Amino acid sequence: MNRYFRELSVAAALAVVLAALAVFAPAFYQPQPLLTLITGQVAPTLVVACGMTLVIVCREIDISVGSSFAICGVCGGLLLSHGVAVAVALPAAIVLGAIMGAFNGALIAGLGLPSIVVTLATMVTWREALRWLRQGVYVNIGGAQWFGLDQAAGQWTMIVVALAILLPLAWATKHLAAGRFVYAVGTDAEAARLAGIRPRLVTFLTFVLIGAFTGLAAMMAAVQSPQVDPTAGTGLELRTIAAVVVGGVSISGGRGNLWGVLAGLLLLSSINPALTYLGVSAYWEKAIQGAIILLAVVADGLRSRKQKH
Amino acid sequence: MKRLLVLSLVATGLLLSGCGKTEPAAAAASGKKLTIAMLPKSKGNAYFLSAAKGAQKAADALGDTLLFDGPTQTDPAKQNEIVEGWINKGVDVIAVAAEDKDALSTALRKAQGKGIKVVSFDADVLPDARTFFVNQATPQGIGYALMDEAARLCDSEGEFAIITASLTAANQNEWKKNIDERLKTYPKMTLVDFRPCDDDKSKAQAEATTLMSAHPNLKLIMAICSPGVPGAAEAVKQAGKTGKVKVIGLGLPNENKAYVHGGVTDSVILWNTEELGALAIQAADALARGTLKPGDKTFKAGDKTYDIVGDNIMLGKPFIFNKDNIDQFDF
Repeated sequence: MNRYFRELSVAAALAVVLAALAVFAPAFYQPQPLLTLITGQVAPTLVVACGMTLVIVCREIDISVGSSFAICGVCGGLLLSHGVAVAVALPAAIVLGAIMGAFNGALIAGLGLPSIVVTLATMVTWREALRWLRQGVYVNIGGAQWFGLDQAAGQWTMIVVALAILLPLAWATKHLAAGRFVYAVGTDAEAARLAGIRPRLVTFLTFVLIGAFTGLAAMMAAVQSPQVDPTAGTGLELRTIAAVVVGGVSISGGRGNLWGVLAGLLLLSSINPALTYLGVSAYWEKAIQGAIILLAVVADGLRSRKQKH
Repeated sequence: MKRLLVLSLVATGLLLSGCGKTEPAAAAASGKKLTIAMLPKSKGNAYFLSAAKGAQKAADALGDTLLFDGPTQTDPAKQNEIVEGWINKGVDVIAVAAEDKDALSTALRKAQGKGIKVVSFDADVLPDARTFFVNQATPQGIGYALMDEAARLCDSEGEFAIITASLTAANQNEWKKNIDERLKTYPKMTLVDFRPCDDDKSKAQAEATTLMSAHPNLKLIMAICSPGVPGAAEAVKQAGKTGKVKVIGLGLPNENKAYVHGGVTDSVILWNTEELGALAIQAADALARGTLKPGDKTFKAGDKTYDIVGDNIMLGKPFIFNKDNIDQFDF
C-alpha cells in the first residue's frame, strides 16, 4: 500500500466535499466570503496545528493551546490598545506564547510528567486567570485592526504568514536532522537516545515552538476585528488535534506529515460552511465532524495493529 | 472609577456613623431614613456600576442612604462576608444579585432572622432567602422584543437568520421558542437558518459570513448571544454589506457601540440597567416600610407601576439601545 495512502484519502474526501459544493452551491466559491473564512477560521488554526503536529509526532499532546491563545491575544491586544507598535506587540505575544510553552515543556520533559495532565492543568489555570482578570471584557484595538493595513491586504497577509510557517516546517520535518529527531523521539525515545539524540531537549523544544506558534496565531486572529475577545480560543485544542489526527498523524507518535494536516484542517473547516450552503441543519455539524475523527482514529488503530503482526 | 470612589467613601462614612445605631425592627416605621445595602455580583463590573447609578438616584429621591459594596471580582465567598458585615452593622434592608444562589441564601436567611428585609435583583437567590425578586426580563419579553424589532427594521417582510450560543443552551432555546411564537404574527418574514456560534465571536463572524453568501436575499441577522452581535456586525462590515444586511441582537452596549455608530448594527436589546438598580432600591425601601407586601399584584414606584407575578417584580419590556441613546450607557 502506498505510504501516503492516509494523506491521499483525506485529500480525496476534501475533493469530494469541494466538488459537491461546486455542483450544489457554487455561491461557496465567491471570493469575498471564501477569503474571509480562510483568513478567519483556517489561517490561525493552521499555525497552531503546525505546532500540534510536532507535539503529537513527538508522542506528546498539548491541550492548553486554547487558553494560551486567549492570553496572548489579550496581552498583544492590550499593547496595541495602548498605542504600542505592531512591530513590538506581535513579537511580544509570540515570546509570551513561547514562555508558556516552555513552562509546559519544562514540566513534561524536565520532570517527566505526562503531557495530558500538565497541559490540562495549565489549560484550566490560564483560562481561569484570564477570566478573573478581564471578567470577559473585550480589548479595543480599533485602528490596529489588520495590523493597520486595509482589509484586503490584511487578509492576504494572514494567508502568507500561515504559509510562511507551513512550507518551511514541512520541508524541515522531512529534510533537516532536527526535524527527523522529532520523529525519532516519537517512535522510540530510548532508541533515539542511544543514537545520540537528546529526547528531553527535543520534547522541550516542540513545546516552546507550539507556544510561539500559538502566540502568533492569537495575534493573527486578534487583529481580524476591532475588539479582542478574552474567551477566544475556546475549543481550539480540539479543533487542532482533530485536524492533526484526521490528517493522518499517528496519535501514538512518530508518523504523519503537515500536508495531511493541512488537508485534514481544510476538510473539517469546510463541513460547517458546506452545511449552511446546502441548507442542512446545524444539528448535523458536530455529528459529521465526530464521525470523520472516529474514522481517522479507527484507521490509525487498524494500521498499528497490522504493523504489530 | 470616580463614582466607585465616591460610593465607597459614602459607604465607609455610613458604616462608621451607623455603628450601634440601628434597630432593624423599628426601621419598618415609615418616615424614618433607611439604610439600604446593595450587593452586586462584582463592584468592578460596569454593568453593576450602571445599576448602582440608578440605585443612588432612587435612594436620594427616597431620602435613604445606600451602601453599595461587593467583591472586586466575582467571588461567592466574599459576597457572604459582606452580608455578614451588614448583619453586624444592622442595616434595614439588603438588595442582592447572587453569584452563587445556594451559598448566599444561607447568609441571607440569617439576615432575615435578625429582622433585615431582603430583595434580590438581576440574579435570584432561593425563594425563602428573600421576599421579592426584581426580575429584569422574561424569555417572552426578550423573544418578542427581538422579533418585533427585526420586523420593524425589515418592514415585516423578508428573510432573516438567527445566530445562537449553542444548540443546547437553555436560555437561548427558551428565547428562540418565543421568537418562533412571535414570528407567526409576521407571515411575510422567513427564518432561513438557525446557527450556533459556540459563544465564540470569531465563529459568529464565520457563520454570518456564510449565511450572507448562502442566502443572498438575507435582510437581517439576529444574534441571541452576546458574542454573536459584534461577530455578525464584523462579518457584515467585512462583506461590505453595511445597511444591506441589518444586525440586531441581545448584548451589551460597550461591545457594540462602534458598530452602532458605524451604521452596521441597528439595535442592541437588553434591559435598562439603571432602571433595574433603581427599582431594586425602590422595592427594598417599600418592603422595609411595609408599603410593599407579599401578595401584592402591582408596585408603584415614582410615576411608574410595575407588575408583580408571584414574588417577581417585573421590570417590564426590554430596552432597545440604538445610536440615539447608546452613549448614555457605559457597560
